[in-house]
Amino acid sequence: MTTLLQTRDLKKHYRMGTSTVRALDGVSLSVEQGEFVALLGTSGSGKSTLLNLVAGLDRPTEGSLRIFDQDLSQMSRAELNVHRRRTVGIIFQSFNLVSTMTARENVTLAMMFAGVPRAERDAAADELLGSIGLGERQQHRPRELSGGEQQRVAIARALSNKPHLLLADEPTGNLDSHTSREIMAILQHLNEREGKTIIMVTHDAPLARAYAHRTITLLDGVVVDEQREPGA
Amino acid sequence: MTFRDTLDLALRNLGEAKLRTSLTTLGVSIGIASLAGMVSLGVGLQDQFVSRFTKSGLFDTISVTPGQDLPGGLTRMAFAGRGGFGARRRAERAAKASPEAAPLRSDLNDDTIKELTSMANVREVYPSIRVPVEAKFGDESEGTLAAGVPMSAKDQGSFQSIPYGRFLSSDTAAECLLSLDMAKRIDDANPQSLVGKDLTLAHGALGSGAATAQPVPGAMPSANASRIDVPFKIVGIIERETGPFAGAAAVSGVMIPMGRAREILLATRTLTQALAPGRGVGNAPYNQLIIKVQHPQNVQDVEEQIRKKGFSAFSLNDALQGAKRAFILLDIVLSLIGSIALAVSSLGIVNTMVMSILERTREIGIMKAIGGSDGDIRKIFLIEASAIGFLGGVSGVILGWIVGRIVNFGANVYIQNQGGTPGNLFSLPFWLIGGAIGFSISISLIAGSYPAARAARLDPIRALRHD
Repeated sequence: MTTLLQTRDLKKHYRMGTSTVRALDGVSLSVEQGEFVALLGTSGSGKSTLLNLVAGLDRPTEGSLRIFDQDLSQMSRAELNVHRRRTVGIIFQSFNLVSTMTARENVTLAMMFAGVPRAERDAAADELLGSIGLGERQQHRPRELSGGEQQRVAIARALSNKPHLLLADEPTGNLDSHTSREIMAILQHLNEREGKTIIMVTHDAPLARAYAHRTITLLDGVVVDEQREPGA
Repeated sequence: MTFRDTLDLALRNLGEAKLRTSLTTLGVSIGIASLAGMVSLGVGLQDQFVSRFTKSGLFDTISVTPGQDLPGGLTRMAFAGRGGFGARRRAERAAKASPEAAPLRSDLNDDTIKELTSMANVREVYPSIRVPVEAKFGDESEGTLAAGVPMSAKDQGSFQSIPYGRFLSSDTAAECLLSLDMAKRIDDANPQSLVGKDLTLAHGALGSGAATAQPVPGAMPSANASRIDVPFKIVGIIERETGPFAGAAAVSGVMIPMGRAREILLATRTLTQALAPGRGVGNAPYNQLIIKVQHPQNVQDVEEQIRKKGFSAFSLNDALQGAKRAFILLDIVLSLIGSIALAVSSLGIVNTMVMSILERTREIGIMKAIGGSDGDIRKIFLIEASAIGFLGGVSGVILGWIVGRIVNFGANVYIQNQGGTPGNLFSLPFWLIGGAIGFSISISLIAGSYPAARAARLDPIRALRHD
């Protein structure tokens, strides 16, 4: 197996007034290609901070963060931008769809930034939304869609630029348990059938154990537990 | 991200906030309207002024006189381009560079008229002729100068309006025009009654078979001088326009067709040469030629070439240049006044864009998270700003035009009531339309650049947490 992600002594410190918050304080871990990894922890444990660093939304204070031999800590703003566009797809707890755009426009927006021609991205959006069960709801705006539907649009958007790595930040945090299972089933399908590597942040340990291959637990910015899940 | 996509995105963003977009656009359009209106007023006034003065014949005219070697090398200084300090050095340098550059010429004759007429940008060349005549009306007579008037002077300069009567009918007609002063000297109470009557102009000539020839008193009998009386029908009376350059406009007490004036001039010269051979008369028939150029802006160029030929040349071009500079100053003052409204409206753009960024912070965060670059975000906002600028510019020009028409209408009603001639006070040439719209877009881009840079710099994580 190829190593997709490797961090070494990764630190992220924030300055809050006069005190320093050590959101991540020396995390070393690695993720293989094709793995489904869940990051567990209470709020403030640093799991979301780690995800943001992997997503290229933020920069580490210290240490290295390599994805396919490229060190994100050394990247320029423009390179991080390319990384977000090509290498990763992100799914958020609060869906983060553009409220003034239809489901289809939300999916094509990411491809627009990647410079995909109009006809091509319309066709791709059709296919993605169809495969995820939203073929009929393409022209609806987010507020006309249920939470589950919105999260599915967000998944379609995350997949639109064909990334290797899917990052999910509490993807079921705003959903009821039934819808949560639907979303998790989609993620599992993407992992098993399409070979996407998935890193999911959650505080729902049973859910993580049910779907992920491996769970990593953080507390106060350091890894305190790591387990392979035989059931997954 | 292609330009087309950026444009689509920007326009849909503007469409999402229709009220705010249209209010901001209205602000810009009022600013542009006031600016365009002010400049349009300046241009309109300048057009009025320039066209009036161009018609006066003062600014498309060059007067040519024999080349003269004035004391102190004035002619050569003039040839070097300008006088003033260092002019002598320049003149000497010019003389060294081409020592044979300007042999002085004084041959102001019909061949020279042909030569000068064939120059580029020259519309017409005619001699300035004033011949001494004795004007006789009834029992009274007066010695005066009769000026030759070219037919092209019709409706130009002093002949733009003829209060009584009409202009001369042909170059050889036995007709004359009088100045109001002259007419009043003949008939103080009722000068206009002279129109249609005959004025007899008498000049001397070498004895010939002229019908009315009589001996000129005091002339040497051997010279066989005679007096020729010709009746000229008074066809019109003009207001005399006095000025430093009246010669160019051929204004005198009595004005006769150029052809007639030339005849009288030649006859008088022949007589003078016979009476006093070799004295008093040069080898050229004319003292001064008048050149009319195609456009006032050709004056300087043609003047320069005339000097190179060895003549002296003079024009009022510099005066027009001065007036134009004054108008540029007026335009600047007017556009500064107009710019105040535009400055206010550009603050409106900044305000709208900053508000829009606050409102869309989260959206910007999303765009960055899914791969939108800083440059993409900046471009979206800049295009939004320039779209507001474009719409504001177009509607501003239209608004400015409408207001200008209304003000112009009102002003003309007033001018007519005061007995003036109405005119177009506002002029909206294409360069002003294009310039106003272009300016509006540039101002909007400048106003939008700070908000756009702010949006581009947003930290995606913070932006995503924003509500």
